[in-house]
Amino acid sequence: MHYVALYWAVMARGGALDLEMTAIAVAISVVVGVLAAIGKLYGGKLLAAIITGYVEVIRGLPPILQLFIIYFGLSQFQINLSPFAAGLLWLILYGIGYAVEIFRAGIAAVAEGQGEAADALGMTRAQGLRRVILPQAWVIMLPSLMTFLVLQVKNTTLLYLVGVADIMYQARLGTSATEQPAIMYGMAAVAYLVINLTLSRLGGVLERRVEASR
Amino acid sequence: MLQLWQQYLPDFFAGVVVSLEVTGAALVLALALGALLVTARTGRVRVLRSLAVGYIEIFRAIPVLVLVFMAYYSLGQVGIRLPGFWAGVVALGAFYAALYSEDMRSGLQSVDRGQREAAQALGMTNGAMMRRVILPQALLAFLPPGTNELSNLIKDTSLVFTIGVADLMFQANQASAATFQPMDMFVLAGLFYFAFYILISRILARWELNVQRRRS
Amino acid sequence: MSSDVAVDIQHLTKRFGPRTVFEDISLQVKRSEVVAIIGPSGAGKSTFIRCINYLHPFDEGRIRVLGRELVGGAAPPSKAVLREIRTHVGMAFQTFNLFPHLTALGNVMLGPMEAKRMPRAEAQDKAMALLTAVGLAERANAYPRRLSGGEQQRVAICRALAMDPEVMLFDEPTSMLDPEMVGEVLEAIRRLAGQGMTLILVTHEMMFAKEVANTVVVMADGRLVEQGPAREVLEHPQTDRARTFLNRVLKPLAAEGSPLAPVSLGGDHP
Repeated sequence: MHYVALYWAVMARGGALDLEMTAIAVAISVVVGVLAAIGKLYGGKLLAAIITGYVEVIRGLPPILQLFIIYFGLSQFQINLSPFAAGLLWLILYGIGYAVEIFRAGIAAVAEGQGEAADALGMTRAQGLRRVILPQAWVIMLPSLMTFLVLQVKNTTLLYLVGVADIMYQARLGTSATEQPAIMYGMAAVAYLVINLTLSRLGGVLERRVEASR
Repeated sequence: MLQLWQQYLPDFFAGVVVSLEVTGAALVLALALGALLVTARTGRVRVLRSLAVGYIEIFRAIPVLVLVFMAYYSLGQVGIRLPGFWAGVVALGAFYAALYSEDMRSGLQSVDRGQREAAQALGMTNGAMMRRVILPQALLAFLPPGTNELSNLIKDTSLVFTIGVADLMFQANQASAATFQPMDMFVLAGLFYFAFYILISRILARWELNVQRRRS
Repeated sequence: MSSDVAVDIQHLTKRFGPRTVFEDISLQVKRSEVVAIIGPSGAGKSTFIRCINYLHPFDEGRIRVLGRELVGGAAPPSKAVLREIRTHVGMAFQTFNLFPHLTALGNVMLGPMEAKRMPRAEAQDKAMALLTAVGLAERANAYPRRLSGGEQQRVAICRALAMDPEVMLFDEPTSMLDPEMVGEVLEAIRRLAGQGMTLILVTHEMMFAKEVANTVVVMADGRLVEQGPAREVLEHPQTDRARTFLNRVLKPLAAEGSPLAPVSLGGDHP
C-alpha cells in the first residue's frame, strides 16, 4: 500500500494535466464546432462537402494514428511540435470532428419546426439561430456533449505515447520503478473512473437542472 | 514514397491480418459477454442486475488503453499471464461488452409491449416468443449502433501495438522508425484503416436499408 | 357449474399499486354466447379482458376458462396451464400488434407452428384459407406496414383463429380504425358470432353490440354496474350510472340536465 501513498501525488499531477488539456481542447473545439455545423447546414454545397470529408477522416482513423501523424508524421517535414503542443493540437482537431456532428444534429432537430416559426416572424437566419434555435439546441445536445467530454478525457491516455506527462505516463514510470503494474495501472484506472463518473454525475445533475428550469 | 510503400506492403498486410484477428476475437467475446450482461441486467435477480449495472458503468468510464495495460501487465503480476494478443482481446472484449450490452438493451426496449402480449396470447413459450418475435425486431434496432461500435472496435485494436502485438499500427510504427519517413508510413496505415471504416459503414448501411425496405 | 359455461369469472379484483383498477366483477359466459363489454374509457375494461387469458395477473377472485382455473393473488399459474388456456383463447388487440417482421401470411402461420408444432405446409394452407375467408388472399405476402388498419385487424383476427380457439377476446378492435374501415372488421366478427364462436368483446360500437351481442355488460368506475340481455340493457338501462353513460354516448348533442329520455338506438330516429 505504501506505493499508493508514494505515487498518488504524481498521479494527481498527471490528472491535473489531463484535465487542463481536455478543458482547453473542448472549449476550442466547441466554438469551432458550432461554426462548422452552421457552415455545414447553411454554407452551401462545397463547404458542406469539405466539412463532411473532415468529419469522416477524423471518425475513420484510429485516434492513436491521428496523434502519431501530427507528432511523428509532421517531423518528416521538419515541423517538430512539443509533446504538449502536438497532444493539444490533436485533441482540438479530433474534438472539432465530433463537435460538428453533435451540433449539426442538435441544430437540425430544433430547426425543423422552430426555424419556420422564426422565419414567419420575419427574423433573419442569424437572428433565428441565435435567439431561437441555439438556446433550445443546447438543451437537446447536453447528453451528447457530456459523452463527448468523457470521451476526450479518455483520449488523453494516448498522449503519454508521445511523451506528455499525464496519468498514464506516471503509471508507466511508476511501473518501471516499482515493478508493481497491478497497483500502478489500478491507480490509473481508479483516477479515470473518479474523473469520468464525476463528470457523468455532474452532467446528469446539469441536465435535470436545465430540464426543471424549462 | 510509392516505392517505400511497395516495399513495406507485405508487412502491412500481415499487420492487417493480425488487426482483423484481434477484431474478430474481441467482437465474439464482446457480443457473448454483452448478451450475458443484458440478460443479467433485465433479469429478475437483483444482485445480478446490480452487478451488471456496476460492470457497465465502470468499464465505460475506464479508457481502453488502461484496460489493455491492466490485462497485459497487471493480470500478469497477479499470475494470469496472457500473451499480448489475448490480453488485447480480453481488454477490448471486456470494454465493448459494456457498450454492446447497452445497445442490445435499447434494441430490446424498442420492441413494442403489444408484441409480447400478442405472442403470449397465441400461447407461445417465452423461448419461442424471444426467438421468433422479440429478437428479430430487436436485432434490427441493434444493427445501426452495433455497426457503429464495430467500426470503433477496429480503430481501437490499434492500441494493442503498445503491448507488442504485431498489428497494422505496430507495422506502421516499425516501418516509420526504420525509414525515417513517418508521415508516409502512417498515411499508408491510415489508408487501410479508412478503407475498413468506409467498407463497414457503407456495406452495412446498404444492408440495413434493404432490410427496412423489404419490411415496409 | 354446468359444462356449457365457457368462462366463469367470480369476484375479480385488480389493483395497481394503491389504485383499484376494478373490483368484485363476476360474469358467466356460456358457449356460443356473445358478450359485449361497454363503458366509459378508464373503466378498466381492457385490463379486465386481459385477465381472462392472464396477460394481466389479478389480485382477488378466480376465473375458470374452459375447465382450467386461474386464482387471484396466488402464485402465477404453471406455464403449462397458461399455454393451455392461451392456445384455446384467441385475442385481437386495439392496436392489432401484428408482427412487423413477418408477412400477413407469416403472422397467421406463426402461432400454429410455434405453439402447436404444426408442420409448415399445413400451417400455410390453414393460414391461406383463413386469409381468403376475410378477403385478404392477395395481400398474404404483404408486410403489415403496407396494410391498411382494417386489413391489419382482419389479419390479426386470422392470426388468432389459426389456433382454433374456443373463445375469442376482442379489445376495442375497431377504435383505432378510420370510420370507413370499421365495417369490414365488424363483418368478420359478425361472421364468427354466426358460426357459434364464444366471443367477449370490449367495444364502443353500440349498434354492433345491440345487433350481435346476446349479453351487454356495462363497466364504469372500476365496477360492473349493469349486465343483461343486450337490447334490454341498451334500450332500458336500470341503473343511473348505465343510463348516464348510454345517454352521453348515444345522444352526445342532448343538452346537459335535460330529462333522461328513453334511449333511442338507430333505426327509430324521429
